[in-house]
Amino acid sequence: MKEHSILEKRTRNRERQKLETSRRIIEAAALVFARDGILATTTAAVALEASVSHGSVFARFGTQAALVSAVIEDLGRGIAARLHELASSGAGTRAVLEAQLRAIAEREDLYARLVVEAPLLPPEARDSLLGWQSAICFHLSPAVEVDTRAGRLKAMPLHLLFNTWVGLLHYYLANRELFAPGASVMARRGGELLDHFMFLISKEGSE
Amino acid sequence: MTKTCIACGMPMRVTEDYPLGNESKDYCAHCAREDGSMQSYAERAAGMASFIARTQGLDEGAALGAAKALMARLPAWAGRA
Ligand SMILES: [Zn+2]
Repeated sequence: MKEHSILEKRTRNRERQKLETSRRIIEAAALVFARDGILATTTAAVALEASVSHGSVFARFGTQAALVSAVIEDLGRGIAARLHELASSGAGTRAVLEAQLRAIAEREDLYARLVVEAPLLPPEARDSLLGWQSAICFHLSPAVEVDTRAGRLKAMPLHLLFNTWVGLLHYYLANRELFAPGASVMARRGGELLDHFMFLISKEGSE
Repeated sequence: MTKTCIACGMPMRVTEDYPLGNESKDYCAHCAREDGSMQSYAERAAGMASFIARTQGLDEGAALGAAKALMARLPAWAGRA
């Protein structure tokens, strides 16, 4: 019985260690991707940054594509979690978009790399991106529906509303050196973009 | 208690997130049929694809492909594509 519980404890410790190592690799990869670019980064550089062996990166993620995908999912989970909390408290469209801006600003270096490199990434990683864009839509759409029914927003297809917003954000992120050299483009221009977007989708006289 | 839906990956935080408010289930209200049972693979794929098409404007075929790729990562549908 005693031996059994020692064994269990060891297994649990090993599991925890495995998780901690995976976490460390994901964080190191996020850092190097943000600094040097996603496609330009080798798994060896990630291993070096995480202070783990090259082998242990492969043991946990298998392929470069799986590692990229895990980092993208982690980024998206963080953004979606913020919106989830807000959306379930019945926040309006503007508040949800504002939270999205803030969440992107916090990880802007990585997010901007993702915007620029997305079309060139492996399908697995692109699916991850689409997965959390869907999660964002899922949190945004109830707020848009409520605001539209209440006559605050113009009636328009949800996908055009969403793609207009994302298109605007991503254009500024992809060209951030032009819009906010050496600074956070979301922090510097985000308020202006949000004001403009709300002006476009709001019914006249409702704002 | 927070669980993650095995069929769509959504975090389930409040009672309303569960099918018919039943917190013992491992899938969410969106992945359940009206009687509370879990949707089939085909039903879920069609539901997810129509959500993606409606919210992000993807082509229907591309939306279904993306839905299936995302579902293959979830415990309820592991290995299917
Ligand atoms: Zn679900």
